[in-house]
Amino acid sequence: MMGPATLEVLLAELPVDVGRSRREEACLDAAETLDRFLAGVERRAFRIAQMALRDRDDALDVVQDAMLHLARSYGGRPSGEWRPLFYRILYNGIRDKQRRRSVRSRLFGLLPGSRADEDGPQEDPLERVADGAPGPDRQLMADQAMQRLESALAALPPRQQEAFTLRCLEGMDVAETATAMGCSEGSVKTHYFRALQALRGQLAEVW
Amino acid sequence: MSNDERWTGTERHARQLFDASVEGLDGETRSRLNRARQAALEEIARGRASPWRSWLPAAAAASIALLAVALWRMPAEVADPSARDSRPAPAAEVVEMLANGEGFDVASEDPEFYVWLESRDLPSGNGAG
Repeated sequence: MMGPATLEVLLAELPVDVGRSRREEACLDAAETLDRFLAGVERRAFRIAQMALRDRDDALDVVQDAMLHLARSYGGRPSGEWRPLFYRILYNGIRDKQRRRSVRSRLFGLLPGSRADEDGPQEDPLERVADGAPGPDRQLMADQAMQRLESALAALPPRQQEAFTLRCLEGMDVAETATAMGCSEGSVKTHYFRALQALRGQLAEVW
Repeated sequence: MSNDERWTGTERHARQLFDASVEGLDGETRSRLNRARQAALEEIARGRASPWRSWLPAAAAASIALLAVALWRMPAEVADPSARDSRPAPAAEVVEMLANGEGFDVASEDPEFYVWLESRDLPSGNGAG
């Protein structure tokens, strides 16, 4: 009857006085739904960002920005659309962060007395160690295997990284991945196939 | 067939490793993610961002333009004496970045950094400053 009305439309239609409690209820419902969604994706999104950026704080920033952006811009959209939108925002943030690092490094390199090449964001080897508490040998082996996967992923072209991460690691179907990547389903399949071939070639020996 | 099986194994193994790494996140990271989520939810409750944020990117973009002008007027050897033969002049590089829109994209994401950067004392060139 009302169709896929957004939260803003729903709220706008409510009379200010009469609808105050209903407004609050609608806000609470939306907040609860968004809370559940974000709680379900936040850790995986963080690991995806951390793998791409190789920096914990940057990854946290990107995830937080993606959460805020989703809430601000798409909080009123049907919740079924959130996941691909969220990951699209997340990857935009990752790319911006990578570009910002590059620009910052170049700008600092231009300043007198700067040593951007030495002091700029460098990969911290400790960042590549899993964050969990030190465990037995089995955990160590899993950590090392994960490090190999991250290194192999990092060697892929960005779009192949995205396709593999979203399709395989995050478990999206082709249509969702295409929405998240902003490309056609055919492109997703091509990127994914190439990523899988490359990873298989790199990891077959060590896994 | 064997290839398919192998790929399936690669995918399965990758997924398992990733899931395990997600489960192994430390408490502090989980806590920070939780706080980030609460901030997003508060954003919904507030309805819109603070008004001061709307002009900050513009101020940062202006700062970048000022920085570009300062570097333009700075002699190349002052900016980077060790690489005067191997690198383009600073102004050219900055202008190239600005022309590509990189600086402004960055400014919209990290405006405070560029406001700060512009405030740094640069050595004055030929009458600059």
